[in-house]
Parts: sequence; C-alpha cells; structure tokens
Amino acid sequence: MTDVQIESVAPGVVEPAKKDWRAGRPQIQPEIMTERGAEIFRLRVAYKKDDRLAFLGHLELIGTIERCVRRAQLPFRVGNGFAKRMGVQFSQALPVGASSEAEYFDLKLTKYVDPDEALDRLLSATPPALAPFAASYVDRSLPALEAWLNAAHWRCDILGEGLRSDALRWGFEDLLAKKELTYMRGDKQKVVNLETTFAGYKISESSSETCISFELDTLQDPRAALRPAVLIYEAQRIAAQAGVDGLQGIDSLKVCRVSQAHVSENGLLVKPL
Amino acid sequence: MRVKRENLFRLIEPMLPHVEKPSRYLNHEWGAVEEQEGPFHVCMVYADVYEVGQPNLGIAILYNALNKAPHVSCERAYLPWVDMAALMRKRNVPLLSLEGAAPLASFDVVGFTLAHEMIATNIIETLDLAGIPLLAEERDEEDPLIFGGGPSVWNSEPVVPLFDAILLGDGEEALVEMCECVRTSKLEGVSRQEILQRLSEIQGVYVPSLYQIVHDNTSTRWGYAVPKEGSSAPSVVYKRCLPDLSVTDPVAQRIVPYTEIVQDRLALEIQRGCARGCRFCQAGMTYRPVRERPAQQIVQAGEEGLLKSGYDEVSLTSLSTTDHSQCGYILRRMNSDLRKRGVRISIPSQRMDAFGAEMADAVSTSRRGGLTFAPEAGSQRMRDVINKNVSEDDLESAARNAFENGWRRMKLYFMMGLPTETDEDIQAIPAVAKRILDIGREIGGKGVTVSVSVAVFVPKSYTPFQWVGQISREEAQRRQQLLLSSNHDRGLKIAYHDSGTSLVEGALSKMGRDGFDLIYRAWKNGCKFDAWTSEFNLDAWNAAAESLGFSLSDIATETFDIQAKLPWDHTSPGVSKGYLQREYRKAMDEVTTPDCTFTSCTGCAVCQTLKVDNVLMGVRS
Repeated sequence: MTDVQIESVAPGVVEPAKKDWRAGRPQIQPEIMTERGAEIFRLRVAYKKDDRLAFLGHLELIGTIERCVRRAQLPFRVGNGFAKRMGVQFSQALPVGASSEAEYFDLKLTKYVDPDEALDRLLSATPPALAPFAASYVDRSLPALEAWLNAAHWRCDILGEGLRSDALRWGFEDLLAKKELTYMRGDKQKVVNLETTFAGYKISESSSETCISFELDTLQDPRAALRPAVLIYEAQRIAAQAGVDGLQGIDSLKVCRVSQAHVSENGLLVKPL
Repeated sequence: MRVKRENLFRLIEPMLPHVEKPSRYLNHEWGAVEEQEGPFHVCMVYADVYEVGQPNLGIAILYNALNKAPHVSCERAYLPWVDMAALMRKRNVPLLSLEGAAPLASFDVVGFTLAHEMIATNIIETLDLAGIPLLAEERDEEDPLIFGGGPSVWNSEPVVPLFDAILLGDGEEALVEMCECVRTSKLEGVSRQEILQRLSEIQGVYVPSLYQIVHDNTSTRWGYAVPKEGSSAPSVVYKRCLPDLSVTDPVAQRIVPYTEIVQDRLALEIQRGCARGCRFCQAGMTYRPVRERPAQQIVQAGEEGLLKSGYDEVSLTSLSTTDHSQCGYILRRMNSDLRKRGVRISIPSQRMDAFGAEMADAVSTSRRGGLTFAPEAGSQRMRDVINKNVSEDDLESAARNAFENGWRRMKLYFMMGLPTETDEDIQAIPAVAKRILDIGREIGGKGVTVSVSVAVFVPKSYTPFQWVGQISREEAQRRQQLLLSSNHDRGLKIAYHDSGTSLVEGALSKMGRDGFDLIYRAWKNGCKFDAWTSEFNLDAWNAAAESLGFSLSDIATETFDIQAKLPWDHTSPGVSKGYLQREYRKAMDEVTTPDCTFTSCTGCAVCQTLKVDNVLMGVRS
C-alpha cells in the first residue's frame, strides 16, 4: 500500500474537529436517554488536549476532567460502588505527549441541562489546554465510548536533521508487508496487527530534511493499539537495519489526534457528535 | 551579575518525552497564580518531587499570603526527580520555577521548607541545580536570599550554613514581613549584611551568620550558639506565633494538581497545636498553644473549597483532629451536606478511645476500609513513660467500637527504642495487637486483619527526651527480631522501619553546626532523596561520616547531660527548658501529665513567653 489517500479509507467522514459543531447537531430527545427507569442523560462532550497538557497521562487526564465536572457543578451521576465514582466514560487513551483536536467524554447526568449551558459551565471550569468545544446528548444505549470510537486520524511531524520522506515511505511499506509490528512496552511485549490497525497514510509534499509531515489513519484493535510514535520508531529501526538512510537523524516527534469516529460493521463512518 | 529573569520552559519541554511523570514539570494547574510582574519575586521550594511537595500545607499558606502582599509575587519549585536532574545537568539547564519557568537564581528570595531532617541533601541538590552558591557566606549582593522554615527548624544547625535566615514558627505574617524588609532594604540600596541585620530584628527570625558556635565544658560536644560580638541579634530567638487561627484563610490549597499527589484531597487546617504532651512528639511541643478554628468557618470553607477545587475528598487536618471541641458537630454537619455528592471526609488521626472510633464511624461510607490507631507503646508502663494517656481499656473499647461498626482492617502504629524500654515492653506490642485481633475475630470473624507497624524512636530537640540517646542499629535489629519472635499468631502482620534511615535521622537530630560537613560529604557521595527507600544509601552516609572522623552510631546514641547547653537552645518554640526537664524526670518516674486543654495549665511556659493562649471554641471532652 503506497500513499493511500485518506479519503479512500475514511470517505468524507473523518474530519478535523470544528469549532461550530454546536450548529446542526442531532437533537435527541432527553426522554429516550433514561436508564432503568431513572432519568439518566448521556451528555457527550468534545474537547481538545494541547499545549503542555499533552503530557498528561490518561489517568491524570481522567482525574482532571472529573474535577472540571465537579467545578462546573453539573448534576453528574454517582455510582453505587464503594468508591462512589462519577458516571463518566472517556475515549481511547492518547499516548503521553500526543496532543488532540478531538477528544471525547460521555457524562451521565441525573437532570437534563441544556447542552449549551453545560458546555459553558464546563468551559469556565476547565484549563484552557483542555477546553471543551462541543456538547450534545447521545443515545444512552450506545456502547462504551472507548470501544465505540474505533477510528482515528492523526497528524504527525518528525523533526530532526537529514530526514528523507522516501525513507519513511520505505519503512511503512516494509512494515505493511510484514503485516505485524512487535515492540516492548515496559516489560510487556506488544504485537500490533497492521492489517487491522494501519488504515492509511499520506506524506506531505512539503516535507523537508528537517521535518517530515504526514497524516495517518488507524483503526482500533482491542489486542493492541497502533501508536504513531511506535510506528515511526519501528520504521526508523528497520530502515537502519536495511541500510536505508534518512531516518537516523530523528530528534523529536509531534503527534496530534485530529479526529475520531466510529466505523460500523458495514463500513460506515459515524461522527461522535 | 544577577541571573536574568526569563521564561525558559522552551528548554524543559524537549526533555519531557524522556522523563518519568512529565506532569511533575507542567505548571498551569487550576488555581495556580499566574506569573505576576512583581517587582519582588519569591520562590517557595519543597526539596522533593512535585507529588510529595505540592500537598504541603505550609507552602500553600505562604504562597497565598505572599501573593496577596503588594509588590510581591510568589512562585513554586520542586526538586526534579533524578532522571530529569541528570538531563538538566547534561543540557546545562538550571532549576526553574513552575509558574514563570524562571531560573531560581533570578529570584529575590528563595524559601525552603525544612520538612524533616532527611531532606537536607535535597536542599543542597536544589541549590546546586539552581546554580546558587551553596553556602550563605559565599553569596554576594546579586544572589537571592535563602530562607528556611517549617516543622524541622528546631535543630536547624546542621543545615544553617546553607541559609541566610531561618523563620521559627508560624509564617503567615512573618514571611511577608521578611520579604517586605528585603524589598524595602534593596530599594534603599543597603548591603546584604545590613539586610541580614534588619531581618534579625523581626520576631521569629534567626540569622545564623550573626551567631558563633562556642564549645566549652557547659555544652555538649556540638557546642552552643551565641550572638557574635558586636551583633544586636537576640541570644534566644523565640518563634512567631499567630494568636488567632480564625483570621486566616481556612482554604489554603487553591491549586489543583493534574497528577496524583501523596495527599490528593482538599485539606482544611481545623486547628493548630496539640497539648496532649506526648513526650516523644516534637510537633506537640513546638506548635503550642492550641488554636481551634470555629466550626462554622470550617463547614463553610469545606463547601467553598470543594466547589472551587473539584476535589472529591476533604481532610480535616491538625495534629489531633478529634480533640477539636466541635469535632462531632463539624463531622456530622459536613457529612450530611457532602456525602450525597460523592464527597468523602477524612480525618488523619483517630483518638484512641470510644469517641475516636465514633468519629471515624461518622466519616466513613457504608463499606469500611481500614482504620488506624497509634498506641505508640505496647505496655501501660511504657505508655505512661511517653505520656500517651491511653489505657488498655481505652484501646480495647476503641477497637471493640470500631469492629462493631463494621471495620474489618485495623493498623496499629508503635515505636521501639523508647527510654527505659525493656524486652517485656517489646513483647507487649504483639500481645496488645493480639488482644485487638481477638476482639475483632470475636465480632467480625476470620476476615478481620490487624497489622502492626513499628518505627525506631528518634529523640528530637525540644521534647522531654531531647537528652536521650537513640538505641544502636544493632540493638534495634535485635529488638526487631524479638518483636517478630514474640508474635505467635499468623493473622497478625508485623512490619518495622529500616533502622539505617533512623540512624541517619538520629545523628542529624543531635548534631550542631559541624553536622553540615557530614551532610555535604554525603551529598558529594551521591546521597539525595534520602527519605525514599529506593534511594537511601547508608553506606554512602557511613563513608561520609568516616571521612570526617565521625561515627553515625556514636552520634545518634549519645546521651546528653540534662544540664548541658544544647546546640538548639538559641532557637526556641517557647517551651521552657525547666518544663522539659520536669517532664523528663516524670517520664523516668512513669508519672503522666494531663492535657492543659482538658484540665488546667501544666506549666510549659509557652503562653507566658509568647503572650498567647489556647483558643478553644467549646469545652473539650
């Protein structure tokens, strides 16, 4: 697979997050979102993660968002368990250091709050680098957010010296031919199935010797997620092994999750909101 | 030349992908004060990693007080973990503040919390990483003034060569006065020496360079400090004491961290000081008198603090929370208001009686976790020696009450190596724990667990045991084995603290100004983060001591003459030496002293010396 057009993988559905998502969103009636007879409303919130807060780990992010919700004084549902946890679900963990233009959480509310008001209250209670930008109620019967959002679109910059985009392309193609990627995460060996997770890439023509920019589409695999940084460093490793020059001068990466979506069984892509 | 003040986060950011927990270095937390223009800049430092230092209530209080003061801006800094420190040195990046990412060396004042003795090498590490001359005497007019303060100032001599001034006691007002003194003095263009002289005139401020150490036959081998000839510094510096806690902001912690910190909850200081009079407890002697905050203020502060912070837990902190005369009312009121919002209330210590268990019950959720009590000693004789006014009946009724209310896990804290301790006293520890376990099994069946944690006693300054020598490491290890072999119930879990750490802590608690050489050598040997089990290196400490002709064991185990002048006599929390001597003798006679907040004055002299009084909001019971 070479230079797959992103559009061919995600035809016109996976789009960068827009500031004006409030306009034209589906208006789901609150009464269909009740749970076990009790009125429970499932509010989906889209937010960004950027600036230095890109370095928050997933657990740190969860704790931070929960505190934002409390500060916003939204009528969130409290679980019945020992820990009395807030009823909130998050989209799949971002790698530490990666920013995002489209993260989501689903918050269970015990009272209906106008989504615009909820968004305003959240916005005033959230650090700017995690600012929410859209909110809407969704059907409570949807699967858990983490499992439901199974497609992602990424923008990556590789920074360094003496970089060559054809070396990156060579590395990606070689990896795709091998169909899987093995790497160590801490003490654990992870095997990523590239046939099911590596959906496409497009290297920017404006790439230079100091910066290769490319876009990447990934699909979720519950066994192991494909992380852009892992893909890049594996491409670097195999290129070096094969004597392909042009990736040895990597200094740092900038990775941004641009959008997330749900791919249904029949291949349709559905926006989170 | 003064280091330039500029934001250098751009130097930190590229290192973040390569270090553990990058969230330690991010700043921009909710509630953090944005960098102010100043023009006078102060940086408060806790010389340990972010998650240990950020919950420190003292720094939070002072951060707020300084940022409220006109012309002053206060920022925070913590010691980077070893991976980040190594990278910073490699890339020649100095230690930066959090808020403004400015070099520490560019600040007017840098203030350190002396949280405990084992933080000493970290203070050196911090100054070194910041590029600030380590010794006060090496600093020139352009260098920041280095202040110290906090709970461990009561024998500050081993670290005073690092400091320009040490604040004794409460800092809310005093630190603001100190900074104002430096600011106006600098505007006047006076010399650093004159600034130090002026600082010494503020009550509670000890300027070490104005004192010299005298060794003679009236003192211990560490000597004693007297004002230098010609200096107008006081012969004894008494601590600063805030007479009324209710005038202070009850919500000190306005900053909500991103990362999990060691006490990850909203802390409300509901009272300051404790008059129980436990003879091993330095805080109990040095934070007197007792000052309660009014119940209504606490309840309101809890409500407001939780809304503004978003925390889901509030802790009512103090040295003895359940002693507050309105404790029952506060807990019941907060519990009824907050529980339905999924907010937990916690109290850091439970009183060892039925009331303590009742209060623990008042704050618990429907399912019980663990409950912690601190009998401190196993035998009644030993508890009388240390003035832990808890009887066997109190202990058993507290345990019975707790188990009957559904608690199934209990943790008990004890010490070993206390003065007059015998093998029978050690054997009494598992015996009393076994009785509690039996009560638990009788009520709760086989699922009940009782665990015991035993620390080695370290004698501290300004306690009735300040003259006592610590037991040797070998003896501590023997008693630890005796403790284990005296336990005949496999259901009872016994753990004890590392005696090596206690040895170094004991030595640093005894030494005078000469102790700095030991700390410096230890740091040169690679010692830092000594309070972390993973980082503590006893061999490096021993090597440092040997190179100076010291023996850590000899220093820690030395008994001082009760009449001798002590290395810390010139810095006083207001407790009289006569009272401490009387308490020592009563300890030897196994005679207890009551708590003056429950009975009448017991003559510690704090109120008379500092012209303050206990402030109680009701009758204690």
